[in-house]
Amino acid sequence: MRRLRTPRIAALALLTAGLAACDATPLPLGMERGTELFETCAPCHGANAAGNPDIAAPAIAGLPQWYIEDQLRGYQEGYRGDHYTDLAGLRMRPMALSLTREGDIESVAEYVAGLDPVYPESTLHGNAGAGATTYTQICVACHGVDGLGMPELHAPPIVQLNDWYLYQELQNFRSGARGAAPGDTWGLTMRANSLALSDEVMQDVIAYVQTLR
Amino acid sequence: MERFLIQASTYAGSIDGVIMLIALLVGFWFLLAEGIFFWLIWKFRARPGEKSQYLTGKEKHVKRWITIPHALVLLCDVFIIIASVRVWYDVKQQLPEADSTIRVIGQQWAWTFQHPGIDNELDTDDDIYTVGDLHVEVEKTYHFQLQSRDVLHSFSVPVFRLKQDAIPGRSITGWFQATETGDHDVQCAEICGIGHGIMAARIHIEDAQTHAQWIADASAATTP
Ligand code: HEC
Ligand code: HEC
Ligand SMILES: [Cu+2]
Repeated sequence: MRRLRTPRIAALALLTAGLAACDATPLPLGMERGTELFETCAPCHGANAAGNPDIAAPAIAGLPQWYIEDQLRGYQEGYRGDHYTDLAGLRMRPMALSLTREGDIESVAEYVAGLDPVYPESTLHGNAGAGATTYTQICVACHGVDGLGMPELHAPPIVQLNDWYLYQELQNFRSGARGAAPGDTWGLTMRANSLALSDEVMQDVIAYVQTLR
Repeated sequence: MERFLIQASTYAGSIDGVIMLIALLVGFWFLLAEGIFFWLIWKFRARPGEKSQYLTGKEKHVKRWITIPHALVLLCDVFIIIASVRVWYDVKQQLPEADSTIRVIGQQWAWTFQHPGIDNELDTDDDIYTVGDLHVEVEKTYHFQLQSRDVLHSFSVPVFRLKQDAIPGRSITGWFQATETGDHDVQCAEICGIGHGIMAARIHIEDAQTHAQWIADASAATTP
């Protein structure tokens, strides 16, 4: 019995020291943490973040980091994805809320931004020719000639997103399910530009956006 | 039980009563049975020179140890059944006249509440929709129409001791009456996917004046 005690105390001390060391090492951030976190996104957005139409999760691969951060903050603070008609947004919101650790939003955004955009196939049948007029008259001011967005206006690239998702978001902007909540500074600027669009015009302009790829 | 979680509905007390009754009866028999087992183990413990004997359990004086407690436990069951059927009837089988009706809609992963608005009628233009916040008035009987947009959920209000599954394609009616004001949790009590654990909401039980004020403010603000 006597003999056993010393190693036991030593083991205990080692364990305590080990645990203390764990505490002291800085938590992983950046790509390492981002890769880890993305495992929780993959079930819905897909392994390459190519999206999944069945649950209305868009292809977020390659969106810019600042935009992903913007949106994740929006979901967390409830100015996006907290409206009773926004079924897809309500599904995404708890996922953003689970990014609780400091630096998580930035880390996962960096990881997703580093993935290659996938340019999913078209599913709608708008008239791209008719859409061109609308695009060059309105949208171009913020989303740019090539649809790649303008960071200084917080307008995201829209060329690599699924067309059904763009349609869904335009509908959300128009109905006020997105971009109407106080606090959503940038959503407000987009919502103003969606109010006059009919369903048909939306589909046309989306068809045009897809030709910019 | 009030000490663990306040009772904020008319039937919370009676549900706790049934749970308490079951806990006491089952607890009594559990302790008694375990006590007898351990006493027997100790009394007939191994002793040098004494052989153990095989009991078939057929003799009357041996069987008594089973049959008498068995009959008594069944008698206890009768009490439990009577108590629980009475509570079940009160909570689920009958539907008291409603002062107001709300709609509760579960979806992955949020609770949407449709309040009737100033006219106190559901499905009219002044309905108030909220995500995650249910507003009710204290001491008023509410009917709820519980629906789901996708999969099974369960509308659970612990302070009411209320729990009802939501089933896609069906509208399930139930009722409650809050007995005291306060803000409490609403949960989802049926695994419904990856976000189930954070599918929480709040119920705000308000006095008449606060509630009327909320309806007025919310009606002014909503343009669905
Ligand atoms: C349960 C499924 C699900 C999971 C898990 C999920 N998402 Fe989403 N996500 C969605 C849906 C659905 C949408 C579309 C929401 C909308 O329309 O507002 C979405 C939208 C987004 C958007 C907005 C895209 C845009 O173009 O505006 C971002 C960014 C995003 N998700 C990032 C993430 C990240 C990062 C994770 C992992 C931490 C994640 N999502 C996990 C379902 C999910
Ligand atoms: C005043 C600048 C501006 C104009 C003009 C504008 N947008 Fe936007 N758009 C934005 C901003 C800013 C956002 C990001 C909003 C946010 O952060 O929620 C956005 C977001 C979007 C989104 C959502 C993208 C996503 O990933 O969720 C779509 C779709 C979109 N715009 C399409 C259009 C179309 C089509 C037009 C032309 C009819 C247009 N926009 C005109 C500024 C603009
Ligand atoms: Cu649920």
